[in-house]
Amino acid sequence: MVTKTEETQLNRLENQVDNGGGGAWDYLSLVRKLKVRRSDKVLKHGLSILNDPKQRSSLGHDEWTLYEQVAVAAMDCQSLDVAKDCIKVLRKKFPESKRVGRLEAMLLEAKGSWELAEKAYTSLLEDNPLDQTIHKRRVAMAKAQGNISGAIDWLNKYLEIFMADHDAWRELAEIYVSLQMYKQAAFCYEELILSQPTVPLYHLAYADVLYTLGGLENLQTAKKYYASAIDLTGGTNNRALFGICLCTSAIAQITKGKSKEEKEGSQLHSLAAKVLEKEYKQRAPDKLPQLTTALKSLSLSS
Amino acid sequence: MGLGFGVGFVGVLILFHAAYSTIQYKTLLKITEDEFSGAPVNMAIEVSLGLLLCLWAALTVPGMLLSIHPHSEENRIVSLSANPDFMIFNHRGKIFPVEMDVKLRH
Repeated sequence: MVTKTEETQLNRLENQVDNGGGGAWDYLSLVRKLKVRRSDKVLKHGLSILNDPKQRSSLGHDEWTLYEQVAVAAMDCQSLDVAKDCIKVLRKKFPESKRVGRLEAMLLEAKGSWELAEKAYTSLLEDNPLDQTIHKRRVAMAKAQGNISGAIDWLNKYLEIFMADHDAWRELAEIYVSLQMYKQAAFCYEELILSQPTVPLYHLAYADVLYTLGGLENLQTAKKYYASAIDLTGGTNNRALFGICLCTSAIAQITKGKSKEEKEGSQLHSLAAKVLEKEYKQRAPDKLPQLTTALKSLSLSS
Repeated sequence: MGLGFGVGFVGVLILFHAAYSTIQYKTLLKITEDEFSGAPVNMAIEVSLGLLLCLWAALTVPGMLLSIHPHSEENRIVSLSANPDFMIFNHRGKIFPVEMDVKLRH
């Protein structure tokens, strides 16, 4: 989860680090905390810290965390030699560690030797059958091999044991959406909203899925969730505003003729359109005509 | 602040006193060899008074409760994390490896 303040802080630090202004360690810590994927930058700046003995020793115990972070980033960038060296250093320091064992298996994954990686994960799971990250790695491995149905099976098995893991629910939802299995995806998003009701992006994704499913009832629910996303973001989410407009016009198309509840709907719709217009006027005045024609075509059809 | 602390302190003292007197009462019962059927009424009043004072102090000392605004700059969530547990390396970056001339030095 990345909030607005954290995002600005991250961008500021990234700019500063890229222009040689220092603060690389703070940047790397923030990347780790926010769990964002900036592998190329982590690799570059992490290596520069690790290669400087003075900086490295000033980190204390965090040095090993950095080695791990850089190793994963290097795998993501396909710099397998760097990853291998990092893991070697970690192995030397922690000869018995399962966490390093996981990194070694991930290296096998990055190389594409799936069978060896699978074997490594199986032996790690034998030692500790409830290791969540390793279960997740297996799902990711099935996905990386293109075996999406296998990944779904693994994930469902995993979620039967660890039902509170919202990251896994999100992954499952995204996989279902990618396969256009919207009903299943909607179920996953319902779980996500239940576990984290204040995250507007889940409301938004759920509404998107419902809108895609179509049908009067789904459209009305979608509209409600778009409205709650607007509520949670304070009206700054343009996608939710557009969603309200689209839902209203779609509902109006379905209920043509029997105009009973339309009054309230049209008001919400016009309010959303007004906010959108204001936003476009402020940030992208040259795109305003496009927006007005799009909105007009929506309200014409209703 | 000072008043709240004072009241809380008195409340805790009263609670301790009630506990102490109940123990005293029980030892007294042991000497007179009576059955213990329940604490006497004045102890119950003492406990409830102490509880009330402590409760009041606990609610006033930490200060006023503030509401959380989900749409404020600090709370507004603009993007989700990258879900690194499910990270896969079999992506298009494989075809365009990063040009890294730096190696890890030991």
